[in-house]
Amino acid sequence: MQQILSGVYAIIIGVGAMVLFYFGTNWVLDKAFADEMTADRRMIKSREKIRESIRPWIFVLPALLLLLLYLVYPAIQTFILSFFNATGNEFVGLHNYEWAINDGEFLQSIGNNILWLLIVPFVSTALGLVIAVLADRVRWGTLAKSMIFMPMAISFVGASVIWKFIYDYRPEGQAQIGVLNALVTSLGGQPQAWLTIPFWNNIFLMIILIWIQTGFAMVLMSAALRGVPEETLEAARIDGANEVQIFFNIMIPQIIGTILVVWTTITIVVLKVFDIVLAMTNGQWDTEVLANLMYDWMFRGGGDFGRGSMLATVIMIAVIPIMIWNIRRFRAEEAQR
Amino acid sequence: MTTKAQTMAGAADKAASGTSSFNLSLGWWITRISLALIVIAWTIPTFGLFISSLRDKDQLAITGWWTALQTSVGTEQGRTGEADAQVETNGQYVLTGSIFGEGSTKSIRTYGGGFLPSSGTVEYGQGEQPGIRDYAPGELVTLEDGSTFVLESNGTYTYTSPTPFDFDRGRRFFMETQIPPTFTLANYQEIFRAESVDQSFINTFTVVIPATIIPIAIAAFASYAFTWMEFPGRRFLFYIVVALIVVPLQMALIPLLRLYNTVGLSKGYPGIWLAHTGFGLPLAIYLLRNYIGSLPRELIESAKIDGASHFQIFTRLVLPLSVPALASFAIFQFLWVWNDLLVALVFLGKTPDQIVLTSKLRELLGSRADNWEILTSSAFVSIIVPVLVFFALQRYFVRGLLAGSVKGG
Amino acid sequence: MKKFAMLALLMAAMLAVFGASAVAAQDDLVFPVGEGPFHWENLEEFQDMGLSGQTLTVFGPWVGNDQVLVESMLAYFEYATGVDVVYAGSDSFEQQIVIDLQAGSPSNVAAFPQPGLAANMAAQGFLAPLGDEMRQFTLDNYAAGQSWVDLGTYAGPDGADDYFGFLYKIDLKSIVWYVPENFEDAGYEVPATMEDLMALSDQIVADGGTPWCIGLGSGDATGWPATDWVEDIMLRTQPPEVYDAWVSNELPFNSPEVVNAIDIFGQFAKNDAWVNGGAVAVASTDFRDSPQGLFTVPPQCYLHRQASFISSFFPEGTELGTDADFFYFPPFAGQDLGNPVLGAGTVWTITDDSDAARAFIKWLTTPLAHEVWMAQSGLLSPHKGVNLDAYANDTLRKQGEILLNATTFRFDGSDLMPGAIGAGAFWTGMVDYVSGASAQDVADEIQAAWDAIKE
Repeated sequence: MQQILSGVYAIIIGVGAMVLFYFGTNWVLDKAFADEMTADRRMIKSREKIRESIRPWIFVLPALLLLLLYLVYPAIQTFILSFFNATGNEFVGLHNYEWAINDGEFLQSIGNNILWLLIVPFVSTALGLVIAVLADRVRWGTLAKSMIFMPMAISFVGASVIWKFIYDYRPEGQAQIGVLNALVTSLGGQPQAWLTIPFWNNIFLMIILIWIQTGFAMVLMSAALRGVPEETLEAARIDGANEVQIFFNIMIPQIIGTILVVWTTITIVVLKVFDIVLAMTNGQWDTEVLANLMYDWMFRGGGDFGRGSMLATVIMIAVIPIMIWNIRRFRAEEAQR
Repeated sequence: MTTKAQTMAGAADKAASGTSSFNLSLGWWITRISLALIVIAWTIPTFGLFISSLRDKDQLAITGWWTALQTSVGTEQGRTGEADAQVETNGQYVLTGSIFGEGSTKSIRTYGGGFLPSSGTVEYGQGEQPGIRDYAPGELVTLEDGSTFVLESNGTYTYTSPTPFDFDRGRRFFMETQIPPTFTLANYQEIFRAESVDQSFINTFTVVIPATIIPIAIAAFASYAFTWMEFPGRRFLFYIVVALIVVPLQMALIPLLRLYNTVGLSKGYPGIWLAHTGFGLPLAIYLLRNYIGSLPRELIESAKIDGASHFQIFTRLVLPLSVPALASFAIFQFLWVWNDLLVALVFLGKTPDQIVLTSKLRELLGSRADNWEILTSSAFVSIIVPVLVFFALQRYFVRGLLAGSVKGG
Repeated sequence: MKKFAMLALLMAAMLAVFGASAVAAQDDLVFPVGEGPFHWENLEEFQDMGLSGQTLTVFGPWVGNDQVLVESMLAYFEYATGVDVVYAGSDSFEQQIVIDLQAGSPSNVAAFPQPGLAANMAAQGFLAPLGDEMRQFTLDNYAAGQSWVDLGTYAGPDGADDYFGFLYKIDLKSIVWYVPENFEDAGYEVPATMEDLMALSDQIVADGGTPWCIGLGSGDATGWPATDWVEDIMLRTQPPEVYDAWVSNELPFNSPEVVNAIDIFGQFAKNDAWVNGGAVAVASTDFRDSPQGLFTVPPQCYLHRQASFISSFFPEGTELGTDADFFYFPPFAGQDLGNPVLGAGTVWTITDDSDAARAFIKWLTTPLAHEVWMAQSGLLSPHKGVNLDAYANDTLRKQGEILLNATTFRFDGSDLMPGAIGAGAFWTGMVDYVSGASAQDVADEIQAAWDAIKE
């Protein structure tokens, strides 16, 4: 109970401080650079220009400071630290990077990450598109979409518990309580410890992320499909195009922008995927991925900040193309305005 | 895409309405069935978790949740009371009691083995406890020394002997028991009582609420400035914001830890609020700018002409108009913070007053790995709030997603 | 907007429900003061320290059942001093303690299961020396005091050795658990040599049973139970000097002595007929869950090699000595290496100095602090001053005797190795091994990891 109270206090203080800051600084600004007026409120000298050249900074400064502190500074710092040793007090040049390209686990994570990048965005996007198309043709489509969308609200850890239960393994002869093994044994197969089968276990982990991300893809696709003009489709049909042709030749080009957006968004999620691997296998049985390996090196066994930072930098470098693409897309949009 | 075959034929030959309607209904069915299958596949995992969290923990451990409505059969050992509990009546020494604890719903199917002689009538295969199916409940077993033993299906037994019993501990036998389907809230009581999941629940709220409100306010001001105010470097600074949307927050961890260490912010709620604010800001500014930018320019202009300052325009005009966009981002941030594990692991401790639900759940995944009753019910507690928020406010969430991604597409 | 309101109402209701039940349960003392074979007078020494009202935070690796045990001991310190003790446990202690220390906000006291990791932290200047008085106490009052002092002595940030860690709560690792009644029913005898143990395993298979339950799962620490096996086998195939050389990496990890030990472990764990669920189940079964197979009907296994603390994970109501018992993991008759014993323990260190932390470390030196835990389960004590009658049962007492009578006692090697090996590469290597890699490959890889951190 006490904690709820202190939480409430903290919220009031935090929010209050913010309100005070914005109102206070604006009030000070208005007072300090008030227009000079005569007693009968006739303007002698307007200071609006000065006020309005300062005010934007009051508006953006808190945000800029936080961004600088929480994203820009750490990014630079991490990059620098990646050239230092475990405790961060001795410059080692490219040593950490050299070590990485000779380290089996690092190469394995790179391989797995590539696998994730190839499979998860593709499957999620494709499934999302299929579901969007299907659901638009059914009266209960909205409900169906809601159910498929729901996993988006579930945390990766929560999803891991849910799926651990699906992949649960009991030795042969005992009753299986995991759905997957129950299915396999009822079809006459052998129960498998799914998460320990190298290579395939990667796929089983990916399924969890696909389960979460498909809803996202579906929602965007669904909206984009609605944007395809009905007349275009009708015209194509009259021209004798079949549905497959319409789908690939008309719908896809129309929504290709959205497809790319979905693809890149999921790609970023995949690059950062950490919780699922940590909670399901912790990188054992050849399922290591970069983000988990980074966490491991940062904090396990005494912590190695140099190598941890190096791995974070590698993830960062992998995101840069997407970052550039995002900015260019944004500029193109701005130009259209 | 299952509908293609149908419409292909339909479009190619509209006149041949006979085959077309056949194909149409086939396609109709295929669409519905495949969508239904996908929906089922998508909901089963969560549904299974929910059902499991309500099951009796003994049943949960031995049978799948889809058998929740059936009686499950288990094997266990039973033990008579100790010899000093015997009572002498009419020259007979009698030991009575119940195998099961108070309030048990189990019943006995068969029993035997252990100290009981083999009936010799049942064959046992490998992986079976020898003797376990020798006797039916209520059947009187006569032992070599002339004593008799009978076990009723409710677990009460009577062990009678002409000579005094003399053993240190209760004698062991085996039995097949059945447990009727039971649903219970005991698992939830257990996690609140013994695992203090309730405390984590409150901790999560303590993190989530400020970490949702603070970035909204800061981002709203900033995005207004980015849209309607003139200042040098506006464009460049906004490009940086767009670029920062995709920065993996992993890279912020070590430098921030060191920074927090020097300013003494670490392992506390203010530290994590600020961290979530910082990490959430780029997307917040981007989303809100898209929305605020779509407000009609004339609105702002006319307010300016009326002599309102930007501050007044923002607080009295733009902010109220932007509520839907604020709500969209609020849901985003709420879900993100609620579900976050990494930031909580690094910026909050594991003490009872700081450990959040996701972190707690991970501890349980390790420490109670095979206590499914604990895992399922804790997982359910951790997902119920975001799922409720999600279903209630799905409209805003979708709107936010669209604004954040396909804007202008 | 209505939905917002409803949602808010719902959440408020939930908060109220949880809030009401969130009142912390008052820690009752497990044993009433003044009764039983305890040194109650120790309490008095702490009563007038003027610490009442202070807060002491303790971070340790114990969660679940173990957490209840450690908290029961802490409750007596609270009772005696009036200090408010807050314990936090984590299943991923090895990572969390590093985060906490780097963040500059550690608990006052941390209990490291790995002296190797503690040494690592001491070298970075995160631990406060305990002082000569504590060192002298350990030397004088612990059986074989010097060895315990050595385990807590590390190089500080300046490179000079200092006494940083006090060993408390010792576990005996070289033991095999079994259910005596199952042995009786099947007519098995407790083996006295490793050869007999292996013959017994074959016998069980021949009778249609499965001899072993082995589980390596442990969340982030998955793999560690296998390191205990390898260490125990090292002590049974090589002289203790070789073991020491291995732990310090003077003997490379991939030398034949070590590879041989790993392979002997493989004879148990990679043998589908010998282990419950087959070799695939070994790595995926949680170690806390693995002994359950001893107690099922019919038994899924007859033998379980695990440290003394595992008895806290036996099914509720299991009586040690009757429902479950143990025997010493026997040496090879063919090797003349005496009766080696492998043990482990936790190193209690001060990570954030305060008067309460100092008082607490002093509290750990009192016999009472040992006795209240001994009297439950899972703690053995090398403290010569404790009342042995306090052990909860003969089984624990017997374990205590094994500890005191060992011809060779060695501390868990993986816990002494550098964190990146002993709490990293060795663990994952063993998982790889059980999952199919060869002993030589795994050993090579661990040695490579060791070389990498030496640079």
